[in-house]
Amino acid sequence: MDSDQNERSLEDINTVLEYAKLELSDVKPTVQCIYFSQQLDNQSFKLLELDDTVLETLTNGEKVVIRGNTDDMAVLCTQTTTFEIKEAEISNSMLITPQLDIGEDVDDSGPQNTKVSKVISVMNNYYELRPCKPKVAKLKKLLEENMYSGKECEEDEQHQGLKYCFEDLLNIVQGSEVEIKESLKKLKACQIEGLWRVLDFDFLSQVLNHIIQLCEENDWLSTGIPLDECLETLGQLFPREVIAHVIDCYANEMKSGGQGDHDPDDQPMQIDAKFFSLSEDKICQFFAELVLKNSGKFNLKEFLKVWEQTVPQGMRTSLSQLEGIALIDRNCMPEVIWYFPVEDLPEDVGERFNTLFKTREKWSLAEISPYIRDLTTLKVDVGGLLTKYARASMMNGIKVFSSRKPVT
Amino acid sequence: MVQVLVSLPDSPNQCPEWAIVDLQGSLETRQPVPLGGKFVGDLHFTKQNVPILIIGHHILYGKIVDMEKPFAVIVKDESSETATDRDTDKNTSVNYVVKALIKKKLLFKQRPKPIIANIPKKL
Repeated sequence: MDSDQNERSLEDINTVLEYAKLELSDVKPTVQCIYFSQQLDNQSFKLLELDDTVLETLTNGEKVVIRGNTDDMAVLCTQTTTFEIKEAEISNSMLITPQLDIGEDVDDSGPQNTKVSKVISVMNNYYELRPCKPKVAKLKKLLEENMYSGKECEEDEQHQGLKYCFEDLLNIVQGSEVEIKESLKKLKACQIEGLWRVLDFDFLSQVLNHIIQLCEENDWLSTGIPLDECLETLGQLFPREVIAHVIDCYANEMKSGGQGDHDPDDQPMQIDAKFFSLSEDKICQFFAELVLKNSGKFNLKEFLKVWEQTVPQGMRTSLSQLEGIALIDRNCMPEVIWYFPVEDLPEDVGERFNTLFKTREKWSLAEISPYIRDLTTLKVDVGGLLTKYARASMMNGIKVFSSRKPVT
Repeated sequence: MVQVLVSLPDSPNQCPEWAIVDLQGSLETRQPVPLGGKFVGDLHFTKQNVPILIIGHHILYGKIVDMEKPFAVIVKDESSETATDRDTDKNTSVNYVVKALIKKKLLFKQRPKPIIANIPKKL
């Protein structure tokens, strides 16, 4: 053990003070003599610079998790937020001193005395935390390894890829629990028998078409879908959790049974019955994807006609529903549209802009916004991203954005 | 991937507040000997709470800095390692515990001033 024996006598100290032309009356009576500890150890601990939110999380008794593997850099996650961990090296020496009295902790008066303070470590680096986007692009790839195409297909050759539970995903994806859950929702992933799966598009269309058909037969489009009844009817065809999931993705839950223009006396009180109404925008989006997926560039006029015909009766299509899903080129003859989903673009900001400008040289604000909105943070909005990564110019009186650097 | 849990110790008194003495450059001895156990210097505070550090023949005036972003001193939690080994199958899990928080430092960023003594005593 370190001895706390102080080799310094008051005499030594006062001699130095005198040489330094300091009066005893100028300084406080307690002198802290600083020594390196015998067990000086610069390796066994690390300094982590704490962000306010991380400090708060820790002091609330919650844990934070550092997630890293060999090819990614490490991130630190609280329940809700992800931070990049960056090592900062400094030329200053930071002497880590556990027992040091600072300023007001030192008494103003009293007899002169000494106190030993040990430096246990000299550090020239620490770890900084910077809020960042979760690295969730991986999630999509993982879940696409084995997409769900129905119970009967689970055993066949195409469905032998890995399947993941939430814990598995936490182990692989660098993001906080809340962010990973949000991304799963965005990917329309569904928990089937405890494992997170995305539905194969063809299978999804089957399920959704059955639901829509059932709605049309029972006039549920106007009254809302009674969840239990729907699950009961389609339960023989598909797993209930899948049906419930698809309804959750493409419909919104209604407040209390029935809604709108019905006479309230007309409808008996429903207890515990959940009703959903199909979301016009989401259903129309789905049918646009159905038409555009795997079909390359499509004549815009023809597409609009086909699209209108495929959506359920009474639903109205609108180009605004295609934001972030498809791109339209109005400069060529005839005008064309093609499938260009934001989920398929790189999540790295630089690469994202490169891909966007490779696809199209000049973008209007309205056009590019849906393709970069997911990259915004609390501090940087769409405008901020464009300032940094794009060059603005005027074309025919409209502000357009082009690449700042040569597109690779 | 490696998941490392970081948490404060269960009882708050196990997480004291430490301090940093921040010096420009590095400390060296004339002969390259291990620094362990060596005397660094005397730390005084003036009545106005200005820290003064006297190292060898040099005097340094500094200031007390409340760190905008505090540091957590984290160490591997040896006790948790064996516990998690037993409880779960994952033997890769390593936990870190916050041994101390550092919210204040004494920053000495000015050039050290030499002390001129008539007879340089062995310091």
